[in-house]
Formats: sequence, C-alpha cells, structure tokens
Amino acid sequence: MDNGEIFTPASEITAARGKDEKGGIPSKRAVDEDKAKRAGQVHFKAAHGLVVAFFTFILILHVAGIYLFTSGFLLTRLVLDHKSECAIPPIEPARAYISGDAQKGCWHPRTFGKAVVIIIDALRYDFTVPFEAQFEPTDLAAAAASPHPPPVAPRHFHNAFPVLYETAQKQPNNAFLLPFIADPPTTTLQRLKGLTTGTLPTFIDAGSNFAGTAIDEDNLVAQLRNASKRIVHLGDDTWHALFPGYFEPNLTHAYDSFNVWDLHTVDNGVTEHIFPLLKAENLSKWDVIFGHYLGIDHAGHRYGPDHPAMTAKLNQMDEILRRMISELDNDTLLVVMGDHGMDTKGDHGGESEDEIEAALWMYSKKGLFGRSSPAHTAPPANAKVRPVGQIDLVPTLSLLLGMPIPFNNLGKPIEEAFIGKKGADFENLAIVNRLAGAQIHRYQDEYAKARGLDESIRTTSLALWAAAETAWGSLGKRSNSAQFQEVYSAYGAYQRDTLSICRALWARFDNPKMLSGVTILASSLIVLATYARGLQGDRSDLTPVFFTRGAIGAVAGALVGFGASFALPEMPREHVLIFSTALYGILGIVSTFYSIRHRVLSPIPASIWGWTSVFFTLALSVGFAANSFTIWEDEILLHFLTTFGVLAVISSFRQRNKIDRTLGIYHSVLFTVLLRVASFSRLCREEQMPYCKSTYYASALSTTSAPWQLAIPAAAALLVPTFIIGYFEGTKSYQNTAKLWLGLGLRFGLMLAAAYWALDAADDGDWYPEWNNVISITKRAVAQIVLVISLAFGYSIYNWSKPLLSIIVNESQDKDGAPKEAITVLGYANVHGSRYALLITVWYLAIALLQKPMGAGAIGILVWQLFSLFEIVDTNSLHGSSIGPVVLGLLGSFHYFKTGHQATLSSIQWESAFIPLTKIRYPWTPVIVIMNHFGAQILCAVAVPALVFWKIKPQQKGLLGMLAKAIATHMLFYATINLATTMWAGHLRRHLMLYRIFSPRFMLGAASLLVVDVVAIFVSLWGARMSMLSVAEIFGFGG
Amino acid sequence: MSTKIIDPSAPKPKPPTATPIEPLKTDIARIYTYLHTLVILALYAYTFPSIVADPVPALLGILAPLAALQVAFVAVCLPPTGETPKVKKSKPGEKKRHVPGRVESGVNGTIVPAFLSLLLTALAATPLLTATLVLFGAPVTTHHLHTLLCGAHIALLSTLPLVYVHGVNGETWRQIVALLLPVDEVYGGLIGTVLGAWLGAIPIPLDWDREWQKWPVTIVTGAYIGYAVGKLLGGTVLKGKKIMFA
Repeated sequence: MDNGEIFTPASEITAARGKDEKGGIPSKRAVDEDKAKRAGQVHFKAAHGLVVAFFTFILILHVAGIYLFTSGFLLTRLVLDHKSECAIPPIEPARAYISGDAQKGCWHPRTFGKAVVIIIDALRYDFTVPFEAQFEPTDLAAAAASPHPPPVAPRHFHNAFPVLYETAQKQPNNAFLLPFIADPPTTTLQRLKGLTTGTLPTFIDAGSNFAGTAIDEDNLVAQLRNASKRIVHLGDDTWHALFPGYFEPNLTHAYDSFNVWDLHTVDNGVTEHIFPLLKAENLSKWDVIFGHYLGIDHAGHRYGPDHPAMTAKLNQMDEILRRMISELDNDTLLVVMGDHGMDTKGDHGGESEDEIEAALWMYSKKGLFGRSSPAHTAPPANAKVRPVGQIDLVPTLSLLLGMPIPFNNLGKPIEEAFIGKKGADFENLAIVNRLAGAQIHRYQDEYAKARGLDESIRTTSLALWAAAETAWGSLGKRSNSAQFQEVYSAYGAYQRDTLSICRALWARFDNPKMLSGVTILASSLIVLATYARGLQGDRSDLTPVFFTRGAIGAVAGALVGFGASFALPEMPREHVLIFSTALYGILGIVSTFYSIRHRVLSPIPASIWGWTSVFFTLALSVGFAANSFTIWEDEILLHFLTTFGVLAVISSFRQRNKIDRTLGIYHSVLFTVLLRVASFSRLCREEQMPYCKSTYYASALSTTSAPWQLAIPAAAALLVPTFIIGYFEGTKSYQNTAKLWLGLGLRFGLMLAAAYWALDAADDGDWYPEWNNVISITKRAVAQIVLVISLAFGYSIYNWSKPLLSIIVNESQDKDGAPKEAITVLGYANVHGSRYALLITVWYLAIALLQKPMGAGAIGILVWQLFSLFEIVDTNSLHGSSIGPVVLGLLGSFHYFKTGHQATLSSIQWESAFIPLTKIRYPWTPVIVIMNHFGAQILCAVAVPALVFWKIKPQQKGLLGMLAKAIATHMLFYATINLATTMWAGHLRRHLMLYRIFSPRFMLGAASLLVVDVVAIFVSLWGARMSMLSVAEIFGFGG
Repeated sequence: MSTKIIDPSAPKPKPPTATPIEPLKTDIARIYTYLHTLVILALYAYTFPSIVADPVPALLGILAPLAALQVAFVAVCLPPTGETPKVKKSKPGEKKRHVPGRVESGVNGTIVPAFLSLLLTALAATPLLTATLVLFGAPVTTHHLHTLLCGAHIALLSTLPLVYVHGVNGETWRQIVALLLPVDEVYGGLIGTVLGAWLGAIPIPLDWDREWQKWPVTIVTGAYIGYAVGKLLGGTVLKGKKIMFA
C-alpha cells in the first residue's frame, strides 16, 4: 500500500503518540511510557498465549479425529495365539503315518535335515532371468510405434545374476526358480512376518517397520526352536526385533539394516560368517541358517536399479551363490528369495507390480524336485507365469524340514518341491495339500469362533472342503495318478477360496470408529471455518472465550465419556472417551459463536478472491474422489496456481495507483512464470506413465542426481539471497541484522549446502576412491554446520534482532538560512514484514540443505515466489483476504511435488536422514525426514504471518487478530483437504485402487495437516510474537 | 454506441463508465450475429472428427475459414472503433468523424479495420495466448504446433472482435484486461472463450482413454463452446453487467 513511504520523516511517526508530549516533564513522561509499554507487553503476551492455546486445541481435535479414523480404517486382524504341535496333526495322517517325531518329520516324512535360507532383500524376479529369455529380439520399428515399447537392450540389472536361472534350467531336479509374489505392504518387516507365519500382514503394521516388535503368533522360526533346532541368523537386524533370543548367540551376527548409504557392510558380514558354517567340521553346530543380504535393496534405494552399482551387487550375489552351491552338503536345502521387489527407481513399500514380484529359488543336491510338465523346465519368462505366493513358503519349508505347519498359515505347499523328480507324484502332492488344507480348516474354525463369525461367509469354502474330503475318501490303494491329481486340485481350490475369504475379511473396517473420526474432523472444520472467515472484528479479544469454553467442554466431555464407557461396554473405552471429549470441546466453542452471534458473518464469500479461495479448495477436495485427479494433482495445482497468477494480473490492472499497478503486474507475472519454471522438476509416479518424464534424478531409473544438477544448489546459493535482499532493499529494510544474516549467514550456508551435494556426488560416484573416507566425513560435517548456521545461529539472530530500521539526520538550511534538522527513518514502510521475513529465510536454509539438488532449486524458487506473493497481496490490498493463505497452501502442495515427492509411500526419501547423521538418532532422524518430506509445506506455513505483516503500518490495530485469521485460514485449507481425502478413503474402501491411490493420499493429507498445524502454531505464531514484540519496543502496540 | 476515448494525459480518479457495445441496427446485422455463432459451431462440429484424428492439419485447415467468418461477422454486425491504428497516427485529435453505419465510410470504415484487427490478433494476441497456455502447463518440448494453433483459435474467437470495436487505445485495453468493461456481446465472447478453454483442461487427466482427450482438443472445444455461450449471454441477459472483484 504505502509504497512511496520509503523515507519517512520521524515527525510523522511520533505524531501519533506525541499529543501528551508537549509540555510534560520529560522524566515523568519516560516513566509513564515505560509503564504503558510494559503493560502493553503483558497484555500482548497474554493475548498471544491464548491464541496459541486455542490453535493447540484445534490441533488436538485434528489429532483425535485422525487417530479415530485411522484406527478404524487401517486393516486389523485378530491374531490367534494357538500353536501347531508336532504330535497333533490337523487331520488323520495318510498312509498310516505316525506323527510326533520331529526327527522323522512331524506330520509328514521330512525331506531335509538342514536348510540354508538366504533372503536377498528386494530381489526382483526379472533380475534373475536373462534378458534374452525375458524379451523377444525386438523389432525396432514396431517397438517405436507401440505405446509401451519393450526394452531393446539389457539394463544394468539384467544378466548380472544368472546362476539361479542356469541351475533351474540345466538341473531341474536340483533346482527351480519361480516368481514369488509378495502381499503388500512391501516393507521388509511386514514381509518377514508373512514369510515366517504364512499369513497376510495387515496395514496397521506398516508404520512399525523401523521399530519392529516380536512376533507372538505361531511361526516357522518358533516351530524350529521348539523342535530344539539350532538356528543361526546372519545379516539384517530386523530379525532380532521379530525373534528376540531365538538364535544361537555365538554364531549369529546381526547388522544395522537402515543405513541405505552402506551397500557392503551387511553383505560382507553375512558372507564372512556363512561359509565357515558350511564346512564339514562345523555342520554339527547348526540346523537352519537364515542369511539376509541387504546390498541390492540399498543399491536400489541409493542409485536405482539401472546403475553400475546394481550390476556389481548382483554379480557379487552370483559369485556367492556359485560358491555356496559348490560347498553345500547333500542333506541341506538351499533357499534363495527376495522378500519384495523394487519399483523403477529402486524403492518399495506399495503394491505396484514391480514391488511385489520377487524371486524364489530352491536348490538341493538330492535331486528331488520336479515339474508337472516338461514345458515347465525352464523358469517362467516373467512374473505373470506360474507365480507362487510368499505365504506358500511356510507350508513348503515346514513339511520339507519335518516341522508342523504354523497355526495361522494360509499358504499351500509349492508343487515343484513335492511332485518328485519324475514330475508325477501326485499322491504326495495330494497328501501335503490335504495336510495344509486341514490346518487352514482348523484355523478357520478357531478364527470363526474367536470372532463370532457367521457360517454364511464360509459356505463356499466349507463346501469345497467337504468336496475335497469326499474325493480323498473315495481314493483306494489302486487309485491312479489322475485321481490323485483331482484330489490335489480339490484341496488347492479350498485353499484358494479360503485365502480370498480371508483377504476380504481382513479388509474389514471399523465403521463406527471411522465415522466418529470423520465427525470430529468435520465439526472441527466448521468451527475453524467460522473462526477464520465468519467473524467480525478483532479475533484476538474473542479467542480467550473460545479457548475457555472449549476447554471446559472437553473436560465435561471426558467425564461424560468416562461414564458412557460403562454404559456402552461393547464399545472400546478409548473410542468413547476420545469421541465425547472432542465433541463436547467443539460444542463448547460452538456455544461461543451463539453467544456472540451478532459478530458472526455469513460464511458465503463476498469477493471474487473469497470465491476463488473456496473454489480452489473445494475443487481439489472433490477431485480427490477420482483416481485420475489424485494421480495428476501436481498438474492440477499448477493449473490452479497459474489461474491465481492470471487473476492477480487482472486485479493488478484494476489498481488505480500506478506504482501499485506496475509492481502488482510485475510480481504477478514473475510469480506465474516461476511456477512454470519450477514445474520442470518432476518425479513421476508409476500411474502417470507414459505421459510424464521424471527429471528429478539423473534418469527415470535412478535416485542419484546428474552431475549437471549439482549446479542448481550453487546457482540458488548465488541468486536467491540476492533476490531476497532486493525485496528488502525496496523499502530500505536491508539494515542491521538483515545484512548480517541475508548477506552473510544465508549466503554462506547455502554455499555450504551446495558444497555438501557436490561432496555427496563425489562420494556416491566414487570419483576419488582413495579419498572416500575423508569425503564422507567431511560432507556430514558440512551438513551439520549448515544446520547449526540455520537453526542455531539464524534463530538467535532472528530472536534478538531489532526492527530493520535506521535513522538518518539531514542537516540543511531552511529559507531563512537557519540550520534545520530533518530526520528520516529508513525501513519504516515494511517494519513488520521485513522483521518477520527473516524467519522464512532461516527455515529456508535448513530445508534447502535437506533436499536433493533439484529440490534445492525448487525450494529456492518457492522462496522467491513467497516474496512476490507478499508484494501481490500488498499491492492488491489483500492482507485480510482468504486468498493469500489458500495460495500458500496450494504453493506448499505444489512444491511438495517439485521436491521429488508423490502421494505414495515409496516416494519418502528415507535416505535424507543420513545427510547430517551416520546412524539413526531419535528424535533427529524423524525430524530430518519430515523436513525433507514436507519442506515446501513447512516453508509456506512459516510464510503465513508475512502475508499480514508485509508493508503494514507499524501501529496497525488488531494485528494479532489479523494474524490469527490468516493462520486459521491456512490451517483450514489443509483441514479441508484432509477431511476430503479421509472421507474418500473411507467411502472408497472397497475400491480397487484403495491402497495404491486413495489410502496414500489420505495419509499424506493427514500427515501434512498435522505438520502444518504444528509449524503454524509453534514456528509461525511463536515467531510472529518475537517479531511483534521487537517492533513494539519502538512503536508500541497498535491496540 | 461508440466507445469513449480517454485522453491518457488526463488521468481520472474513477474508471470511465464505458457503455456496452451495441450491434449495428441493421436487419442483416441483427440476424447474422446469431447466425454467425451457429455457423462457427457448425464448422467446428463438422471438423471435430478430423481434429480428434490429427489435430494439427485439421486445426490449421479451419483457421482460415474461422478468420474469414470472424472478419465477416465484425464487418457486418459490429461498429468499428473510433480509431484504427493508422488513423491514430495521422490525426489523433479528431473525435467525431465516425458515425457508425454511415454509408460513405464504406470499405474504409469496416473492411480495413476488420483486417487490421485480424493482423493484430495474429501478431500480438496469438503469441501472448500461446505463452499463457504454456504457463498453464502446455508441453514445452513437444506439441509446439498444437499449442500454437490452439492459441490462434482462441485469439481469433476472443480477441479479433474486441480489437475491431475497441481499437488499440492503451487505457481501453488496460480496462479490457482488468475486466472493468461492462459485459456485451463481444466482451462476453472473450470471457466465455477463456473460461471455456480453462474448463476444457478438466477432462484431460481422466483415465477414460478417449481419443478426444488428446492435446489440445478439449481446450479448443471448450473455447468454441465458451465463445458461443459467452457471446449469447453477453448480448442478452448479462448485458451491461460489470465484474466486481472485491
């Protein structure tokens, strides 16, 4: 607004409070002023504290709603504590087999006495199949025309690990190789649970990957231990979280699993300790070895599959396995498998095809394996052919090793392992499938009992069971192979049907909980919306009432809930308690609206800006009901933000003041063009293919940056501080501490951040192999220094900075020739805005460091856009409008995508935790990953107060109320998105795309709401307090 | 009837109260203004299948007919601006030379301004609108001709009649861009075209796998429909209305 007032005569500033200054005794005046100032401070601090308390109350409501919904939405499965026992087979054994002797085999004669089970983390099926066997020689012309051309040349991950395929093809009786389909979520901990219990994991466990807890349901490892087998574990330490104390302590060696930067420690450790155990003199020391290699998984996370490091890793595995085959004794079974695959960038966690398609290979020198048809001798060319489930491993291994099948198992024995070397022993197949089927049948009975399930759900599977049993009963001594085959397939049909019933059953949602969650979220949204947009006058003087009544309501609700939980014994107590506390709290706030109803405004927007804000928010929210609009959210955000840019140009053209008009047009165009520039940074999600080209990393198949991208952080370090200084210079606010911080601290910090990424590239690419150690230590030190500069040094400067003002005394002569003093104040025009904006740059430095080089560019552009947005808001007088906070919400979400993220679990850049640290440290690691993941949203939330402060008068009345309004509006945007994604996820809970699209988007919506809430309250609102106090030191509170 | 010409040297505190454009009062103008919308829609509907099949040649093919139709429309139905670029250069002061519909103005009064409008639309509006399309997310590395032709179609629909009736006065164009003019047939056409093109982006991401979802078919279709709707509404129910921002 007051653009012209760069130089402000001091008389104008003091005039406002100068009335009583005339004639007063100076010392007394000073005392009075001091008193008034202190009283003002106390009043401000109290009012501010209550605003913080009110928003914290809203945050708690959000947490309560999200918690209730999540606990009802993420799948839950009742874990039965039953254990299978060696002496108690689920059904009368066939061929009069006497069960109970683990040495001979519990339920079925055992085949192997010992086993070496190797898990190669993230071993995707197509890594093991030669390129020539996977793809026909490609006709280049035809390939160019087709929409999904097959690859024409081998990638780095092809042909590097041929030993599995070779042995399976050349010695079909000794080995077989099959696609091994994982059940999502494809995180290692979940997969290990599935691989050892034979049951389907449920989603609620997905988050506990890094703090796993012991498995207490029946599983293969526990069965082995009960049978006094000596189990050795080598490799990934996740096993110890799942099976604490199960392994032979002096032979077992576990390694940290989370350091994805390290490709070799775990693998070398496993290799070092496994081969001595295979030597004849050590064979008596163990029965089963579990070896877990992590190198391929880490190479995928760090470089992506299409990288020479992956070739090297696969070659290493090839070598190890060849050696293992040659050193293996005759009675030992060797199993190699991947626990999941990896997507095109080497990450996993979701349920895309590349993520679930792992490989399984079994080998023994006994030559017992077979194929049901000669055509099946060669392993399948791709994972769509003859796949087996990962849950099938448990019954297979159990029966081969003579163990009972774990109680909760749902898998079936793998055909190749039991069909005999001639491929015709259907009798054996029928027997083992009958055993597995009977165990499933027993489990189903118990589960139905425990859960009180209706028989009707199981009618089809019970009928199939009865049919299989009848077929079995009709067999005689002289039955031929075809009859056995029939029985075998009858039990197979029963197992398949039960599995699908279980899948459907465990996709059961707790609807009352979900509804309660949505109710809390929806009603807190209405409260927040009314607070943000539907109140007249200063909010800060009403907030105490809101908070008090809300708190009283919550306490009353807690009491009522406590009482009600006795009246409703069938409902979980925490559910009733949380729901009633939150609801009564909301009612308390609503009662305030009723008491002050003369100040409540119509919620319908009054201006085109209001309508635009509502439209952007609601259109996005509605769009999340469609998977296409969710997939293409990044492009939609670009579309909306550009629309805002165009509207800002139009609005700027309407301004009458020529300076406002020109500045407004300039910044609107700049804002819009920067959007498009930033939009070149993309990391496509799988569903966007083939219409999207990833640019975030060196290639679509890697997670490392190209060397040229290293120039981006350096360019940002050179340019962005200069641009920011430009915005400060515009009002002569580039003074005092701004010079120290922007001119020195920020510049230096950004340079160091650029240096970090150069060092990181050198370390990653082995540019100077002999210096690797030095480089890797130096880069972490550099990263830590940057964080110290930002969060310690920068924050201190921000905290103790004076307003960015300086006073110039001009001595001149007036007309009569008498000397005259003219005092001008520099930086007066933007005293609030410039003071607060320092905080944005402090956070900018920390967040820029934690983004990959391309992301550092996107974040730099974001900061530049923020300042342009402040100018647009100011020149168009939109300080109090909803459009500013809403555009910040859109901008934060937009740059979320531009910093290499997507609404998918696999896009979380876990490795960012290791930028400043070598190992996991709580609480720093989660904080760093959050700052990497939500960096853009965090910066935008920090920027909200500046929308209000930018170029506003120092003594503006009701500034705190305006601030609360803006922050509430910003939270409202995320709360609306969260409510919408929550509702859609709940509503579309049977949708095919639930786990691929709607559920991850819901998680993103909930997580970003909570992060933004916390940042808006404890960084923005708290930071604004420091800034406002320091401005008030000089100008007093506006009142 | 006629546009007010503002002297830029005398800035006014309030934006001038411009009146909506009235179409010429001849019978043929009154009929043709509606007929024109139908003809343009028919032309587009007729070429639609070939646009879907191969956008570039098809869009290029109807560019000239569209230009001819628009030139004919403005020449027949609309009052030309009080000043054409050339007139402005030679005699800036004169004001009351043109009375719309006067016979002697003839070719000079309608045909020349119509072609000048076409020229300006091609040289100024098309690049500007194409750039805007790119800002909104149109591909940068591929589909250049697609985007350019899309921009050209939008320009012909929206801008050509505006240039014809309002000329090139800076202040008038500031008001046009600022959405400060009262809505009329021509202004409604502009707003409708732009809104239609904006809405045309919505079906693109949907996973319907239809041929017509390809770039820029939906945008151009939206622009044509928007033009027809905006022109119709602007000339009738919304006539004289002003857009309020705050």
